Amino acid sequence: MLVSYRWLGRHVDLTGVTPQALADLLTLSTAEVEGIEPFAPHLNDVRVGLVEARAAHPDADKLGVCTVQLDGSGKDEPLQIVCGAPNVAAGQRVAVATVGTRLPGDIKIKKSKIRGVESRGMICSVRELELGEEHDGIWVLPESAQIGQPVASALGLDDWVLEIDNKSLTHRPDCWGHRGLAREIAVLLQRELRPLVQPKIETGSAKATAVQIETPGCPRYMALEVDGARPLPSPAWLRFLLLAVGQRPVDQLVDLSNFVMLDLGQPTHVFDRAGLSPEGIRVRQARATETLTTLDGEPRKLQESDLLICNGERPIALAGVMGGESSKVTEDSSKLLLEVANFAPVAVRRTAMRLGLRTDASARFEKSLDPNLTVEALTSFAAELKALQPDVLFPSAPADAGDWQDPSCSIALRPERARAVLGADISDGDMQAILERLGFVVQTRGTTFAVQVPSWRATKDISIEEDLIEEIGRIHRYDRIPEQALYGAIAPPPRDRRRETVHRTQDRLAGAARFHEVLTYSFHSDRLIELFGIGDQPHVKLVNPVAEGEGRIRRSVLPSVLALLEKNRRRYDDVRLFEIGKGYLPEDAGERGEPRQVHQIALAWATPPPPKKARFDAARFGELQGVLDDLFRSLDLAPHCWGALGEGQLPGWAHPHKHLAAHFAGLETPVAILADLEPGLARRLGLSGELASDVAVAEVSLDLLIEAPRSEGGYRPIPKFPGIKVDVAVLVDNRRPAGEVAEAIRKAGKGAVAELELFDLYRGDSVGAGKKSLAYHVLLQSENKTLTDQDSQKFLGRLERQLQGLDGELRKG
Amino acid sequence: MSDTPETILAQALEEIAACSDAGALKAVERSYVGKDGRTAKMLASIPSLPPEERPAAGKNANILKKQVLEALAARSAQLDSASLAEAREGGDFDATLPGSKALRGSLHPITQMIRNVEEVFCSMGYQVLDGPEVELDHYNFEALNFPPDHPAREEYDTFWCEGQGDLLLRTHTSPVQVRAMERLSPPIRAIAPGRVFRHEDQDATHEHTFHQVEGLVIDRGIHVGHLIGTLKSFLRERFERELEVRLRPGFFPFVEPGFELDVRCPFCTSGCRVCSKTTWVEFCGCGMVHPNVLRAGNIDPEEYTGFAFGFGLDRLVMLKYGIDDIRHFMGGDLRFMEQF
Repeated sequence: MLVSYRWLGRHVDLTGVTPQALADLLTLSTAEVEGIEPFAPHLNDVRVGLVEARAAHPDADKLGVCTVQLDGSGKDEPLQIVCGAPNVAAGQRVAVATVGTRLPGDIKIKKSKIRGVESRGMICSVRELELGEEHDGIWVLPESAQIGQPVASALGLDDWVLEIDNKSLTHRPDCWGHRGLAREIAVLLQRELRPLVQPKIETGSAKATAVQIETPGCPRYMALEVDGARPLPSPAWLRFLLLAVGQRPVDQLVDLSNFVMLDLGQPTHVFDRAGLSPEGIRVRQARATETLTTLDGEPRKLQESDLLICNGERPIALAGVMGGESSKVTEDSSKLLLEVANFAPVAVRRTAMRLGLRTDASARFEKSLDPNLTVEALTSFAAELKALQPDVLFPSAPADAGDWQDPSCSIALRPERARAVLGADISDGDMQAILERLGFVVQTRGTTFAVQVPSWRATKDISIEEDLIEEIGRIHRYDRIPEQALYGAIAPPPRDRRRETVHRTQDRLAGAARFHEVLTYSFHSDRLIELFGIGDQPHVKLVNPVAEGEGRIRRSVLPSVLALLEKNRRRYDDVRLFEIGKGYLPEDAGERGEPRQVHQIALAWATPPPPKKARFDAARFGELQGVLDDLFRSLDLAPHCWGALGEGQLPGWAHPHKHLAAHFAGLETPVAILADLEPGLARRLGLSGELASDVAVAEVSLDLLIEAPRSEGGYRPIPKFPGIKVDVAVLVDNRRPAGEVAEAIRKAGKGAVAELELFDLYRGDSVGAGKKSLAYHVLLQSENKTLTDQDSQKFLGRLERQLQGLDGELRKG
Repeated sequence: MSDTPETILAQALEEIAACSDAGALKAVERSYVGKDGRTAKMLASIPSLPPEERPAAGKNANILKKQVLEALAARSAQLDSASLAEAREGGDFDATLPGSKALRGSLHPITQMIRNVEEVFCSMGYQVLDGPEVELDHYNFEALNFPPDHPAREEYDTFWCEGQGDLLLRTHTSPVQVRAMERLSPPIRAIAPGRVFRHEDQDATHEHTFHQVEGLVIDRGIHVGHLIGTLKSFLRERFERELEVRLRPGFFPFVEPGFELDVRCPFCTSGCRVCSKTTWVEFCGCGMVHPNVLRAGNIDPEEYTGFAFGFGLDRLVMLKYGIDDIRHFMGGDLRFMEQF
C-alpha cells in the first residue's frame, strides 16, 4: 500500500519528523515500510514562469513564440520559448522546464530551433509532468504560484511516498487508510491525532431509498441519495494526493470515492439512481443461475455464495467487489446513490478470489472492517462533495439498515503475564499508558486490567490477552527487550536413527564412493512418467501445477535422478549421482487420506561402455555393488546377501537379467535393488550414440535401512600365525556361477580360507570353447599353527576333488 | 706369494675409492674382509708358515683387515653424506607443476547448510525433526490458526492436491510444530529442516521448491528475550561474529506476538546490494507460539509458553557462496555440484 507523507500530515502533525524517521517508526512498531520515494521529483526542477508575451510564429500558424520570465525580481533576461499549445496566453503562470531539465520518460530538454526560431525550454502540460491525462493545452498555474520557484514548493506539492508491505497489515483493517496509520503515528510520536471534521449534512425530507438486507453477509448498509452532482475535474489538492499514492484522478465522484477509501479505509460505491426502480436496494445471496456484467464490461457467472446488491430483483453490483455495468455513473448522470456498507469478509474474499477480481475494495472488506466506519465515510464523502459542488442536494436522510453490532469488547489482561511473555520489565502504569494512547479503555481490577477494545481494533485483530500483550510489546518496542539465554533441564534428545543413517549415507557416498549429491523436484513431468512407462501407477496429482504437464508428485526418487544423466554425460565421462528424497504413494493412504511416504536413496553411475578387452570387473554394475556393500557395512548392518528379486518386483528401469536385490535377515522386502539400466530406457533417456553408457542404477529404501538388523561386534583377532598365499586358476563351464567355485574353494580350505579374491576371469580360445577360467588369490591361515607347503598341497588336492563335482578342473602351470 | 699386505692394502684402497654406492662397497668388503676374502685367506695360510713368521703374519693380516674396514667405513660415510647432499638438491623440481587431482564426490550445498544449522542447534540441546512434504491442510494451516478463508492463507501460494481437498504440498516447515507437540511433551526444543513449496514462477531469485528450517521451543516461562537470545546465539555461531539483530512486528497467524527478525547486514557497513542499502537483512519470521496452536497440540497455554521461528536456507547458501541463480540448486548440473 502506498502512503503519502503529506496526506498523513492532514491527520497528525509531522513537524520535525523526516519521512525516513517516520518509516523507521512504523517499521519498528506497526508495519514494514518497504520503500520511500520522493513524489514526482521532477517537479523540483520544473519552475514557475510568467508568460510576458506571446507572438505569432513567423512560419507556423499553430505555434506561438512566448517570452517567459523565470526571475521573480524580473532582473534576468526572459527566455524565448516556442510553444504549440492553443491555451497559452500572456499573463499566465506556467510550468517551465529549462534547458538541461529531465522529465519523466527520459526526456531531456535541449536548446533547439523550431521552424527557424530559437526555443530555450518547454512549457509543460499536465501529462508531460505525469500529473494526469490532460494534454490539450499547457498547465496553467494559479496566480499565487511564485515566479521562479520550483513548481513542487510553489504549489505545496513536496511529498514522499511510503510503500507499506501489505502482508504486515493483513490483521490490521484499521490501517488500510491514511487516518488509521496516522493514529498509530500519533501514538508513536506521542502527538495528538487531529479530530476528524464531520460537518452536519443538510438533507431534505424526501423518503430515503428503501434498503432491505436478506443475508447475514451484510451487517450494515447505508445509502445516501445525491442530486445534481457533475463529473467535474477534481481540484489540485485532491488530484495530487491521489497521484502521490498511485491513483489516477478521473472526476470528482470517482476521486472522492477513492479519497474516502484511502483516507478512512472504508470503500464506497456510487450508483446512477436514474436507472433504479423505486423498489430500492436489496442485499441478498446470488442464485447459481444468475449473471452480472461488472463495471469492466465482463459478464460474471454467479454462485450462491456471492453477495449481490440488487434493485428489486435485478442485480446491480457484486457486493464489496465491483459495481455493475447497468448502474454505472456516466457523464449524463445527475441523480446518484452513494453506498457505504459493511460486508462479511469471507463472502467478499471468496467471490473476489473465484472471479480473480481483487479490487481495492475487496482487499479492505476481507480484512473485517469496523461497521461504525460507514457513518464517518458517508459524512466525509457528502461533506467534501458539497464543498466542491455547493449545488449538490441530498434530498433525503441516509438510509441505514442492518443488524450490525458494535464489535467493541472487553478483555482481561494480567500485567504480570505480559511481563512474563515479553521478558521485559514494563510497569503496570506504562502498560496502561500504552493501551490508553492506542484508544483502549483500561480499568484496574486487583492485579488484572479490564481492557475495553475500541471498535476499530475489535473486528479481528484483538480478541485475546496475547493480542494485548502484542500491543504493549510493539509500542514499548521489541528491540528494547533484552536477550536472554535459554535455561532449563533438557534431556539429551533420543537417538535419531533416520538422521544418523542419512548423514552416514551422504558422507559415505560423497566420500570414498565419490558420488555427487543432487536434489531434484518432487514433481515428475508427464514426459518423464511416459519415458519410464509408469503412467498407469497412481500418483498424487496437483490441482494447480506450476506448469501444464508437471502435475504429478513422484512415487520414487530415481526417475528424476536418471533424467540428469544425459546432460551430465555430455560433459563428463564419469557421472555418479545420488539423491536422498521422498516419494508418495496415494494407493496406500493413511487414516486422513495422506499418501504413504517412502524415503529413498537413488544412485546412478554412468560411464562410457568398457572396451572389449577390459578387465572382467570393469563394469559399473559390480562397482556399484561394491559401493552398496561398503555403505551397508559402514551403517553397521548385519551381513546381507545379494539374490534374486521376487515375482513382480522387477522395476521397469532394471535390466531384465542384470539385476540383484540386497536381502537382510528378518526383512521380507529387499532393502536395495541394483541393476544395469534397462537398455530401452537408456536410449529413451538419450544415452545412445556417442553418449551410449554403461549405467548401473540402484534404489535403496531408507525406511528399510533403518529397520535392517545391526551387526553385533564384528572384531576378528589379529592372526597369531602367518598364513600362506596360494593362487589357483579354475577351469569350469562358462555357465557355472562363480559363486559355486568360490564355495568349492572355501570347502576345500576346511575353514582355513581367510581371504579369497577373484583377480581374473577369462574366456577365450586358449581355455576352450564354452569354458571360462577363474583365478583367485587365496590366503590360508590357521589360528593354531603356522601352515606349511604341505598344508597347501593338501588344500589343492581337496580342491581338485571338489571341482570334479562341478565338472571343473584346476589349471596347472 | 707375491702380494704383500702393503700391496693388498693399496689395491683395496684403490677399489674402495672407486666405489660409488653401498652395493659396490659391500662387494669390496666381501672380497677383502669377508668370510672367503683376502685377509681370511692370509689368516688361513698362517699354519703353513714357518713358526717364527707366524706371529708377524697374523699381526699383519689383522692390521690389514682393520685398515680395510676403516677405509670402507670412511668411504661409506663419505658416500652417505654425498647421497644425502644429493637428496637435498632441488634437481628438476618445478614449483608450478599441478598436484595430481584428488577425486571426490560432493554434498549438496543445501545439505551442508542444513548440517551446519543442525550442528549449532543440536549443541544447544535441540532435536531434529522431520515432516512430510505432502501435508494435510490441518497441519499446514488449520492447526496453525489459519481458519478456512483466512486471508493470510493466500500469501502462501499453495499447491493443492487432487482428492478430498485436504492435501497440499507444505508451504512452510511450520506444520512440524503441531506434529511435534502431538508426539513430544514439554520441554520441547526442536528444529525441522526441509523442503517446502510455493506456487511461484521461477526466475533467478524465485523457486517453487526451496528449503526452510523451523524452530520450536516450549517450556514453562519462555519469553521473547529467550527468542532473541537463541537467534543471536545461532547467528553468532553461523557467522562467527557478533551480529546486531532487531525485532519488529510481523504478522503470522500462528504466533502472537509475531515478529520479523532483521540482522545487521553481514556484508557491509553502509548499505549494499544484499541489504538493499538499508544495512538490515530480513532473516526470519518468528514469534511466541499462539495459544490456539498450543491447544491444537494439546498443550495448556496457561502452563506453557513457547517461541517458534522459521527461516529460508536457500538464500543463506546463495549469500555464502555468492550464487546468483537459485535454480542451480535443483538443476543437477555436475559443473555446479562439484564445486561444493
